[in-house]
Amino acid sequence: MPALFLAPAIAVLLALSIYPLIYSITISLQQETAAGVTWGLGNFTRLLSDNFFLTALAHTFVYAVAALTCEFLLGLGLALLLNKQIRGRGVFRASLLIPMMLPAVVVGVIWRLMLNPNFGAINETLKQFGINTGSLTWTASPKLAMLSVIAVDVWQWTPFVFLVLLAGLQAIPQEPYEAALIDGSSRWQTFWHVTLPLLKPSILIVLLLRTMDLLRVFDQIFILTEGGPGFATETISLYIYRTAFRFFDFGYAAAMSFVLLALTNVISAIYIKFLQAKETI
Amino acid sequence: MRVTVYLVLALLVLLTSFTLTSCTGNHRKQLTLAVVSGVEGEALKQAATDYEKQTGIHIDIAEFPYTNLFEKELIDLKAHTGAYDLIMLDDPWFPRFAHEQVLTDLTPLLKNRGQSGPDSDFVATSLALCRHPYQTGSLYALPYVGNSQLFFYRKDLFEKYLMKAPLTWDDVLAAAKTIQEKETAGANGGQVYGYVERAAQGNAAVADFMPIFWAFGAEMFDANGKPAVNSPQGIAALEFMIQLGKYSPPGYVSFNADDVGAHLLQGTAAMSINWPAWISSFSDQSKSKVIGKMEFTTLPDGQKSGQAEIGNWLIAIPRESRNADAAMDFLLWATSAEQMKRSALRGNPPTRKSLFQDPELVAKFPAYPAQLRSLESSRPRPRTPYWNEIENAFGIFLSKANSGDLTPEEAMNQANAEIEKILQRAQ
Repeated sequence: MPALFLAPAIAVLLALSIYPLIYSITISLQQETAAGVTWGLGNFTRLLSDNFFLTALAHTFVYAVAALTCEFLLGLGLALLLNKQIRGRGVFRASLLIPMMLPAVVVGVIWRLMLNPNFGAINETLKQFGINTGSLTWTASPKLAMLSVIAVDVWQWTPFVFLVLLAGLQAIPQEPYEAALIDGSSRWQTFWHVTLPLLKPSILIVLLLRTMDLLRVFDQIFILTEGGPGFATETISLYIYRTAFRFFDFGYAAAMSFVLLALTNVISAIYIKFLQAKETI
Repeated sequence: MRVTVYLVLALLVLLTSFTLTSCTGNHRKQLTLAVVSGVEGEALKQAATDYEKQTGIHIDIAEFPYTNLFEKELIDLKAHTGAYDLIMLDDPWFPRFAHEQVLTDLTPLLKNRGQSGPDSDFVATSLALCRHPYQTGSLYALPYVGNSQLFFYRKDLFEKYLMKAPLTWDDVLAAAKTIQEKETAGANGGQVYGYVERAAQGNAAVADFMPIFWAFGAEMFDANGKPAVNSPQGIAALEFMIQLGKYSPPGYVSFNADDVGAHLLQGTAAMSINWPAWISSFSDQSKSKVIGKMEFTTLPDGQKSGQAEIGNWLIAIPRESRNADAAMDFLLWATSAEQMKRSALRGNPPTRKSLFQDPELVAKFPAYPAQLRSLESSRPRPRTPYWNEIENAFGIFLSKANSGDLTPEEAMNQANAEIEKILQRAQ
C-alpha cells in the first residue's frame, strides 16, 4: 500500500526532474554537424577554446565575489545596528526589506531608467550638485557597466543578508555576553569571540544561498545591459541562454550548464567544510 | 508483484489523463496562428477575426513577444507537434527554418489553385526572402509586412543651416558636425546631437552598421563564402561609424531602437537610420516635440549607392501542420491586396507595389514613395542558418570598437575569426 501512495510523487519526480536531467546529460554529449549527430566530449573541449565562454566565466566570478563581499559586509553591519534598541527600529527593518520583495525584472527596469545617461534620475541629480556627468554613462560604459550591475545586485540583495543575520543574532542567548562582560572583554573581543562564532550557522546559510544565486544571475543583467556594452557584463547564464534559445545549440548550452553546476557544487562544498569544521571545535 | 501492478496502474492513469486533455477539439475546423505581439501581429490578429466572420473557420491565436517568438516556433516545429498551422517569421530567421526543413513548400499548394507562382505584385526583394536558397529556391513563405530601413533627418535644421538633403555619408558627417556645433539651444534648452547611432551589441549595432558597411563597398562574405568583414573597406566603414558616434548622444554604445526613437522624438538628435514603424509617432502630439519637422528618405551613398537593410515579416506554414490546405487559403487571403491594405491602414508597410502607390494610402502615409524606393533597392542580412550566432558575435565587436575597447582593425579581425569559427562548426 505505501508504494501506491508514493507512486504519483515518484511519477512526477521521474517526469519532471530525473528525465530532463538524463536528457540534458545525453544532449551535452551530442554535437550536430552537417554529417549528422556525433557523440563525444566535443562540447566540453570546445569550452576551453571559446573566448566568449571564458570571458563570461571570469565576469561571473568578478560579479559574484564583488557583490557577495559588499552584501555580506553591509548586511552584517545593518544587522548589528538594528539588533540594538534604537528609535524607529521597526520602520528601518521594514523599509530595508522592500528591494528584496521586488521581482528582479522590475528592479532591472527601475535601475535602467535611473541609470539612463541622458534622461535618467541619477545623472540629473548629480548635475544639480554641479557634477559633470558627461563621462558617467553607467551601463553604457565598459568601465562602469560591471560596477553598475553589481551595485544593483547589492541594492536588491543586501536586505536578504541582513534579514538572515538579524535572525541569527536574535537567536544568540544572553549568557555568553554576560560571561564575556564579567571576563572583561572589549567590545571588539566580544564581537570576534562570541558573536561571530555563534553566528556561523546563519553566515553559512546566507553565503551559500547568495553564492548560488550570484553564480546563476540572469534577470537583472538581461534587463539592464543584455550583457553589454560589447561583452562587458555577459555572465555564464546569459551566454547559456543565448546559446540555447538564440543559436539553438542545446548540446553546448547543456555542457556549459554542467560546468556551472560543478563549480557551484565545489564552492558550496568548500563553504560547508570551512565553516562547519570550525564550529565543531 | 502487487506493488508493480499498482505502480503501472498509477502511471497509466496519469498518462491517460494527459492524452485526454491534449486531444480535445481536433475535429472542429480551426487553424492555429503564431504571431508576434506589437503592431505587426495586431494587424494579423484582426485579419483573423474578420476571416472567422466570413468563413466560420475558427482561428486560435498564440501571441508571443518578439524575444521569445523565434525559440517558441523553432522548438515546436522541430518537435513535430503540429501545434501551429501558420507562423509569423522575421526574415533573418527564415534561412534557419528552411535549413531545418520544417516549412511547407507553397508551390504545389499554389498549383492546386491554378497559380504557377506567387503574385507578381509583391516587391521582388520581399519575395526573394521567402525562397530558399535566397531568390532562386522553392517558395516557403509569403511576405506580409514590408519594412526596410529609412534615413530620418530634421528637415527644419537642414533648411536653417542652408544644407541640402544628405545624399552621401560624407554629407551626413558634415551636417552632423554643423548641427552639433551650432544647435546648442535645442528643444529642451540643451544640445542637439548631430546624429544618433545605436551600438548595443547584437541586432542593434549590426542593423545600424550594415548600410554604412555596404555603402563603403564591404561584404560580410567573399565570393567563396569565407568571412571578409576585416577587409580594408570593412575597417574603413567601422572607422566611419565611430567618427559619426562622436556626434551621437553619450551612451549610444548601449542604445537600442527605443533610445534612438526617444532622442528623435524629444528633438535632441538630428539624424538617424530607423525603421518605418517609428514614422507615425513623429506626428503624435503626446509623444513628439518635432511635429512636421522630420523627413524620411533612402539611405545615403558611399562608394556604392546606399542600400537599406530589409526587415520583413513573413508568414509560413509549418510542415507538420495538419491543415495545410486551409492554412494556405488564409495565407493567400491575408496577403491579398485588399486585406494587406487593411493591414497597411493599421500601420504596417505593405509588401505589394500597388499598395505603395495606392492614392488613399499615400495620402495617409506620405513616406510611402521613399519607403518603396528603399525597399526595392534594399539588401537582406546575409542568408545563413547561423545568422543569429554571427550577428551576436559581429555585434559584440562592433559595440566594443564603439566603446573604445578595441581599435576598428582589432575589432574586425576578431569578429572575422569568430565568424569563421561559427561557419567551421557548422560544417
